[in-house]
Amino acid sequence: MTEATTEATTERRKDEILLDMRGISKSYPGVQALADADFSVRRGEIHGVVGKNGAGKSTLMGVLMGIRQADSGSIAIDGRALRQASPQMMLDAGISYVPQHINLLNTLTVAENILVGNLPRNRFGLVDWKAVNDDSGARLERLGLKLDVRQPVEGLSVAERTMLAIAKALFNNARLIILDEPTAALARGDIDLLFSFVRAQQEQGVAFIYISHHLEEVFEICDRVTVMRDGRIVGTREISEIDVPELIHMMVGGGVQEYERGTTAGAEIVFEAKNLSRRGAYEQINFALRRGEVVGLSGLQGSGVDELAQALFGLERLGVGEVLVEGAAFNPDSPRDAFDGGLAYLPQDRHRFGLIQLRPVRENVTYSVLDRLVSRVGILMRKPEQQITEAYIDKLGIVTPGAEQRTMLLSGGNQQKVVFAKLAATQPKVLILHEPTQGVDVQAKVDIFNIIDDLAAQGVALLVISSEVRELIGLCDRILVMYQGRVTDEFTRAAANMKPEHILLAIEGGRGHANA
Amino acid sequence: MQTLDRHHLFEFVSRHFIWVVLIATVLVFGLTIDGYLRISNITNILITGSVLGVMVIGQALCLMARKLDLSAEGTVSLVAVTAAWLMLPYRETDLAQAGGLGIELDPLLVIPLILLLGTAIGFVNGFMIMKLNMNFFIVTLAMQLVLRGLALAISSGAIMPGTPAAFNWLGGGRVAGIPVSVIATIGLYAVFGFVMSRMQFGRKVYAVGANEDAARASGFNPARTVILVYMVSGFLAALAGWMLLGRLEASVPNLGVGITLNVVAAAVIGGVSLKGGEGSIIGAFAGVLFLAMVNNALNLMNVDPLWVNAVRGLIILVALVIDAQKSRYRGRAGPAEPKVKTGAKAKQTAALS
Amino acid sequence: MTRTGPNRLVSLMVDNLIWLFVISAFIAFSLLSDRFLSPYNLGNILLRSAAFGMLVLSQAYTFITGNFDLSVESSLGLTAMFAALMLVTSEAGGWGWQLNPILVIVLMLVLGGAIGLFNGVLITKVGVNNLLVTIAMLFVLRGATYGISPGTSISFFPKEFTWLGGGTLARVVTDDGNFVLSVAGVFVILAFLVGHIHTRYTQFGRNMYAVGADADAARAAGINVDRVVIIVYIIAGVCAAFAGLLQAGRLNAATPTMGANLIFAVHGAAIIGGMSIYGGRGNIIGAFGGVLLWSILDTGLNIMGVSPFWIDVSRGLLLLFAVLLDALRVRYQRNVQLRMSLADTTIGLEDKAHGDD
Repeated sequence: MTEATTEATTERRKDEILLDMRGISKSYPGVQALADADFSVRRGEIHGVVGKNGAGKSTLMGVLMGIRQADSGSIAIDGRALRQASPQMMLDAGISYVPQHINLLNTLTVAENILVGNLPRNRFGLVDWKAVNDDSGARLERLGLKLDVRQPVEGLSVAERTMLAIAKALFNNARLIILDEPTAALARGDIDLLFSFVRAQQEQGVAFIYISHHLEEVFEICDRVTVMRDGRIVGTREISEIDVPELIHMMVGGGVQEYERGTTAGAEIVFEAKNLSRRGAYEQINFALRRGEVVGLSGLQGSGVDELAQALFGLERLGVGEVLVEGAAFNPDSPRDAFDGGLAYLPQDRHRFGLIQLRPVRENVTYSVLDRLVSRVGILMRKPEQQITEAYIDKLGIVTPGAEQRTMLLSGGNQQKVVFAKLAATQPKVLILHEPTQGVDVQAKVDIFNIIDDLAAQGVALLVISSEVRELIGLCDRILVMYQGRVTDEFTRAAANMKPEHILLAIEGGRGHANA
Repeated sequence: MQTLDRHHLFEFVSRHFIWVVLIATVLVFGLTIDGYLRISNITNILITGSVLGVMVIGQALCLMARKLDLSAEGTVSLVAVTAAWLMLPYRETDLAQAGGLGIELDPLLVIPLILLLGTAIGFVNGFMIMKLNMNFFIVTLAMQLVLRGLALAISSGAIMPGTPAAFNWLGGGRVAGIPVSVIATIGLYAVFGFVMSRMQFGRKVYAVGANEDAARASGFNPARTVILVYMVSGFLAALAGWMLLGRLEASVPNLGVGITLNVVAAAVIGGVSLKGGEGSIIGAFAGVLFLAMVNNALNLMNVDPLWVNAVRGLIILVALVIDAQKSRYRGRAGPAEPKVKTGAKAKQTAALS
Repeated sequence: MTRTGPNRLVSLMVDNLIWLFVISAFIAFSLLSDRFLSPYNLGNILLRSAAFGMLVLSQAYTFITGNFDLSVESSLGLTAMFAALMLVTSEAGGWGWQLNPILVIVLMLVLGGAIGLFNGVLITKVGVNNLLVTIAMLFVLRGATYGISPGTSISFFPKEFTWLGGGTLARVVTDDGNFVLSVAGVFVILAFLVGHIHTRYTQFGRNMYAVGADADAARAAGINVDRVVIIVYIIAGVCAAFAGLLQAGRLNAATPTMGANLIFAVHGAAIIGGMSIYGGRGNIIGAFGGVLLWSILDTGLNIMGVSPFWIDVSRGLLLLFAVLLDALRVRYQRNVQLRMSLADTTIGLEDKAHGDD
């Protein structure tokens, strides 16, 4: 089956349109997630889709997979229009999705994962394991994939799992495979391996949609690229007719700054990292934060930003080098140590690390300062606890029916404010914020900017880690860029070189410094 | 907005569900069974509920920390046997009875010793689970086998009767006509109710049970908290063993066998979630009262004692089915964000095949 | 299943740890006691734990799908008691029906299956936690066993009935004593063999593993997860009924306490045999190794005159040891992976650095 299909596809002309989406619109209460989007993919092409978080990529892909229903617009595959699309219809039409976190049967072998639900049987009706292994091995070989099919999937590397997931899609007659950030957790060698596998499948006539923040990779592997911004398709270009700066320009657009804060930076240095290195994570990190300064830090996944933040908060090893907070050596073994040393961290994954969702707002706000709320015999003092909670609900404008509300019942923005309250309660000298505006609505975003401004005005030094470059520009006195484990660039408001295009270029590994 | 209100109503009812059931039970039994509300009968209910009650506290703490302690009943039998062994005079073991080691230790020395033993067992459990990353279910299961085996080996599986009066005071004594075991149990509930709601330790247990990662990122030390929880569980199991031995005035083989299942059931009926981070000590108390009341009523109603277990099991089953409906409802009307996420994930998975 | 990769040897050893244990225990007892290797004792090893073995088989099935069934120990008691009541005269304490033994056996297997069906439906369709449902069922069934029992033990079963649990297939007379090939022993071996073939060589068996490995991914592969789980509970119930019949047959008696408090030892045997409570791992043959190990410890310590009460202690300690090894393996694997990925990224960094130069 598979063979026949792929061969047939190869014979057809390459520039034939495989997928044609026209005038797709989708709105959620208060948000226009997709507006009149036209998107098409040619047979056997690798088509990049780029755009910032929230640009509409995932909504567009959701519509394509049949998970979300578009309000209007049409989808045609091979010129045949599909009306009410369901996930099953899209699968049958040959559209497959390979998520960033691959979902396979980890304890079972590669062979069994390939043939699950349909294992070859001998004449007694029993599973023929030799055939299972031979058959799956042969299938993989036809795709040029060399894996030990008798190995359990849990022993495979991430790249191998991704390729296996692609292979499984192909065995199910997929003709268009959506790859969602497939290289996020891969080392360079593995990326090459994956790319050559993807190219080999492309030559057989399979089309790919390649979603990535790594523009360099988009240029490396894609034939065409579509840029999305604010729920609209900005444009689709042949990759040979565009360069990185232009692509970034399309992603960023010419819109005006929505938010611009003044500076509150003092002169005194409160945080300093000197020659901080950890093998495989980051190297020779040197930077300082001054009192009341807001500094942005941006980098791709794998650039070392995440590891640096986690290590500074005591969740991972810090490595060699020196960190000083207000002149005192700082080397936390645990978040508790970090709090005590005057540093607090707002995690990117609010659900996993930020909040204890089952517990009420009051408890979440005061977790970090329980020590200060106990009397000599270890009893929690209700009054100060109430006061602290009420004060922060008031100050940060947390919308909740009361301090006893379970935090899981709050909206994303208000949940984030609860995390802010928990951190602010420790009265940190240094506050690291990891994607503070992710998954919150517009109003909450403005509120969070104001909270950041307030904290800075109180003298807290803030390090804001974000991929939302435009937000960083409005917010920060300086922006640092990390690439491949090093701080490679610095932009300052004073030098007036904080341009989104330049910063994005630096994030992608290019020379973005205006003065350079 | 309307769903939000319904949600609040639901939260309220589900949080206090056990009390509604308890009041209904009292009313129904009180009206239909002669002498149910007599002081002597109420005392009876409380006495039979006391050992179970003490163990439920420890298990509730474990459940709140998203763990389980299957070894508690093993601790009960081991400490009971050890205590009898240390206190009783030596005698040849015959078919029916065994004697002690012969050192005839003073009960006042034995009591702290067995409490220490229970706590130490809890520490070993906690250490293996949190420091050696061993699975809590299997660790406590294996520990249960070890402890019960040790208890049987020490006692040769025979009865060891005649524990000293000073030792029996907790399980069998009375103060002003009120059984000491009842006073002690109620006292323990008061203490642990306070600890869990008003002290730092309680706060940490709930936090660690609800979300270990976030608890660590909030500055807690989950390993330390969980080890402490197991130590408390071991201590309380030892206390329950002391109480039970004192009531029976003899160590019998298979003391406490199968009680773990009752204990878990009481805690869960009392609203302590198996998924951690939820429930209250006072709710667990209600669960214990409920089970004790049902047992007692079945007795008074002249239900064949042989059928009591079956009826009790059925009641637990009904409670569980209701509880499952509760979490289903929560799944629908609950927090939009996480649910949507899992839904989308499942669908993406569907798209993958 | 062969594994490759850097952990191959470790994995191979840990996966087959149970046979290392079984062989060591066997050799140790042979050396410690000359009576251990006697033909009589060898014949006895399996006979004594036939019923236990069927319970382990039932748990192996539920474990593969990532489930539990604590109630099987009570199913054992209930089916034994029911069978007894239907078989014997009212003078002997029964109901006096004196039904045909074959019919009784079939009825009991149906009863076991029905209990499993009930458990499975409550777990999959009603959504009650599997641990708690089966705890409650454990009470209900044990209570029912007491309820229907006349309060005493019932004996004097027809021969056709006791043949399964207590019968002899062949007897080999040697100088050291008789080697008895028991029906029950052969039955258990056959049951595990069938179980092995079923879980390893049928589509349904592999679906069980898929459900245990990742229910979402299994559903995505078109497997009806609820159906698989319900059928597994039915199989577990039938196994428990077989256990009841074997036990009643061997003892030629039924008491209301039969099977009580066995469940944790049963879980221990399955786990030390390599089954995982998280599902998707282990195999039926390994679980059989667990049964053998427990049985060897049982008979071995017994022969050496060690109080039977030390048996549980040794089982518990062995189980702890096995879990510890597993925890160490996980840690080792994580370290290896970490080292590998670290090495990768560092090479990546260096490459890039050179490229920049």
